[in-house]
Amino acid sequence: MSMPSISKTLGTSILMAGMTFGSAAAMAADGPLRGNVRVVIGSTSTGGDTYQNSNIVVDALADHLDLNMKVDAVGASAAFRALDRDSRGNTLMIFHDQSYLGHLYGVEGYDDIFEKYTIGPTVAINPGNAYLVPKDSPYKTLNDVIKAAGNGEEVRVAIQPGGVSEIGFSALKNAIRIEHPGMEDNLVAVNTGSQADKNQQLFDGQADMINGTVQANEQYTRLPEDDQKSMRFLWLTARHDTIKQAPEEGLGKTSREELLKYVEPNVNVTMGDDKNFTFDKEFFFLYNKDMDPAIVDQIDEALTEIYDEGEIQKAQQKSFFIPNFKSSGESEEYLKEKMSTYKDIIENIK
Amino acid sequence: MLDILSLLDITFFLLAAMGALIGIIFGAIPGMTATMAVAVCLPLTYALGLHHGLALLLGLYVGGISGGMVPAVLLNIPGTPSSITTTFDGYPMAQKGEGERALRVSVVASVVGGLISAAILFLFAPLLAEFSIKFSYVEKFLIILLALTVIASMSRNMLVGIFSGVLGIWLSLIGTYSVSDGGNGHTRLMFDFLEPYLFEGFSLLPVLIGIFGIATILLEAEKGVKSGLAGKEINIGKGGGFSLGLFKGRLTNLVRSSFIGTFVGMLPGVGGSAASVLAYTQEKNLSRDSSEMGKGAPQGLIASESANNALTGGALIPLLSLGIPGDSTTAVLIGAFTLQGIQVGPLFIPENADTWYVMMTALVFANIVMFFLMFYAIKHIAKVVLVPKYILYPIIVMMCVVGAYAINYGIMFDVWTLLIFGVLGYLIQKVGLEVAPLIIGFILGGQAEVYFVKSLESFGTYSIFFTKSPIAVVLWLLIAASVTFSVVMGLKSRAKGRQEMTQ
Repeated sequence: MSMPSISKTLGTSILMAGMTFGSAAAMAADGPLRGNVRVVIGSTSTGGDTYQNSNIVVDALADHLDLNMKVDAVGASAAFRALDRDSRGNTLMIFHDQSYLGHLYGVEGYDDIFEKYTIGPTVAINPGNAYLVPKDSPYKTLNDVIKAAGNGEEVRVAIQPGGVSEIGFSALKNAIRIEHPGMEDNLVAVNTGSQADKNQQLFDGQADMINGTVQANEQYTRLPEDDQKSMRFLWLTARHDTIKQAPEEGLGKTSREELLKYVEPNVNVTMGDDKNFTFDKEFFFLYNKDMDPAIVDQIDEALTEIYDEGEIQKAQQKSFFIPNFKSSGESEEYLKEKMSTYKDIIENIK
Repeated sequence: MLDILSLLDITFFLLAAMGALIGIIFGAIPGMTATMAVAVCLPLTYALGLHHGLALLLGLYVGGISGGMVPAVLLNIPGTPSSITTTFDGYPMAQKGEGERALRVSVVASVVGGLISAAILFLFAPLLAEFSIKFSYVEKFLIILLALTVIASMSRNMLVGIFSGVLGIWLSLIGTYSVSDGGNGHTRLMFDFLEPYLFEGFSLLPVLIGIFGIATILLEAEKGVKSGLAGKEINIGKGGGFSLGLFKGRLTNLVRSSFIGTFVGMLPGVGGSAASVLAYTQEKNLSRDSSEMGKGAPQGLIASESANNALTGGALIPLLSLGIPGDSTTAVLIGAFTLQGIQVGPLFIPENADTWYVMMTALVFANIVMFFLMFYAIKHIAKVVLVPKYILYPIIVMMCVVGAYAINYGIMFDVWTLLIFGVLGYLIQKVGLEVAPLIIGFILGGQAEVYFVKSLESFGTYSIFFTKSPIAVVLWLLIAASVTFSVVMGLKSRAKGRQEMTQ
């Protein structure tokens, strides 16, 4: 056998061995979802709640389906683009309410997710969305803030515009509009970026209140009042029932009982007609519209079984997430309704 | 105390050492960064547990930042953005046959920078965190402005240098003023058809590798690549002798640069590249003789490398005492805590003393391992320049392409960016513009814009830049000194040039 043909034969055998091995690995999973699955998320942060929560869910799913799955923190626009490109099902996305709030606020790069993508199951809630003031602030309750704005006092709130961080601000502005018509412009948004920036605005005295989270700001609330960095919770936007499902010990050294002081009915932000505004930050899957519906069913079924087993709930609660599984169809309807509520609020204060 | 010792087992030290080694490799490959190394290994912390996980990640962090010096010195490609100023003196030294010496100087500077910053972190973290929150948008803008003044002092011709710097700033503004920074998210400075590609602007790393690496290769290619050895005229052993005597009279530089690195590291959002640029500028302005800087002076390497390694301890200060990461790598590192359900914030250190001591041990140990790994491997690493160019250059191009493609998880446009800036880097040197000011403008331009706009949004008046705080006044004095120095030096060298002409 001449040299070239030896190497050719050798090459072919290696290739065939590789293919056999590869297909064996692929056969390990017997559903329509096969091969390596990349789960992109709408945040670039690996220290944030989206990454943390997605990891819990994706790990459980990978185990259950015996697939190789990995979470990639690529950020919203890169994640949407990655999802657009892949209809095979090897790219999935996990994100939260930002995905439709971005569209409602008219942020560049956010399309209507209900039109453009298939909505997958919801998996968990992060109940931590919060509003805080310096510990020595004259505003002791959220009602003080509403009253002050109603009396013509300017209250500056540091938020990250265009989504989850802004929705509570919009609702508060709407409540002031209802209770003190014409005075809502006294609530002024200070547009910032990261949590660090929002905190800094408070330390600099450039904001009277900031949007934050229980997870990121809880330790600040335990600092003594004379510390420039000390803060106080005024409001958690989550529903009362959501916080009720948190572990009894709460987070850090702030118990669930204490956290319940900052949600309805103790803190009320009216939407009119005796309805109060609440906002749970919910995580859910998004799929490419052309993805095989069998994959949608496969993931729904797998997650149903995983949640029935009950282990994932423990992992989520340990990290201060509230388990909240709704299968694909159910979640689409639920999220659409949720969006329409917030759409009204945003339009009211335009 | 015994509790802590029981946490430090052999696995702990092995993981930290392994992290340092893998980190060095990541840092040394253009396009791979410390941030990437930490991100790739982050999920492992699940299985390893918090303390072992942190040992690995801190090793990767220290190694990744240090590894960047290797391609910077030997190939004129900054392995990581923070080693860009290492190329200024490292590569000229390598060309003179002093690659090994340059690397040894860099390694010693790195370990000193790393250890000084670790000591500062250990002793003063809460106190410094308190100080760092005094830096609002205004002060952060002024720090960036101070770093930008390097453009004037480092260029051969001041006017051309400033023009190149402004060009760099202009390039950095392509894209959007991001919505997440409070902007409108509208694309600017581009044609409509480029929107899908340039929505987030040009990525930093492909630009860096292109403008340094690819452009250098193009320039070499133009000269013609001989089939012989690239460095046959270079004897890396002789003339490259290293002794600690090189640091004689340079201690001030070493300590000052380490402090600058730590300080910049602890300011969230100012970024790693600013640390080495700032340290480099200060050495240029304050040293008795800086005329050789940029032409192959060890003092430039000392400034750059001690500052970028000092960044590690600095960036951990706000992370561990405010819960706010100081740079992009610690932003990934924070994931190790959240994945384990541990909060980092102002009470982290008092409430997690064990973890705090364990982290300090890992950080110091990783620095020491990095030093020994690199110091003794340098002899072999430096031989890269002996590889024939016709073999070396294609490999570099291939590595650059792979790195550029991988940096944002598989975006083909980043490879085009690499090529575009490779050609651009070649062209601007042909028409007489200067690369270094351009790239510094590009790196710092985006941040300068955000902090400038934010300052105005927050305070509503231009005068705030002068009246905000005593810190702002000090920064203005430093800026004025830096500019004056550049002008005086520029005039001096012009007079000298004229004198030589008339003789």
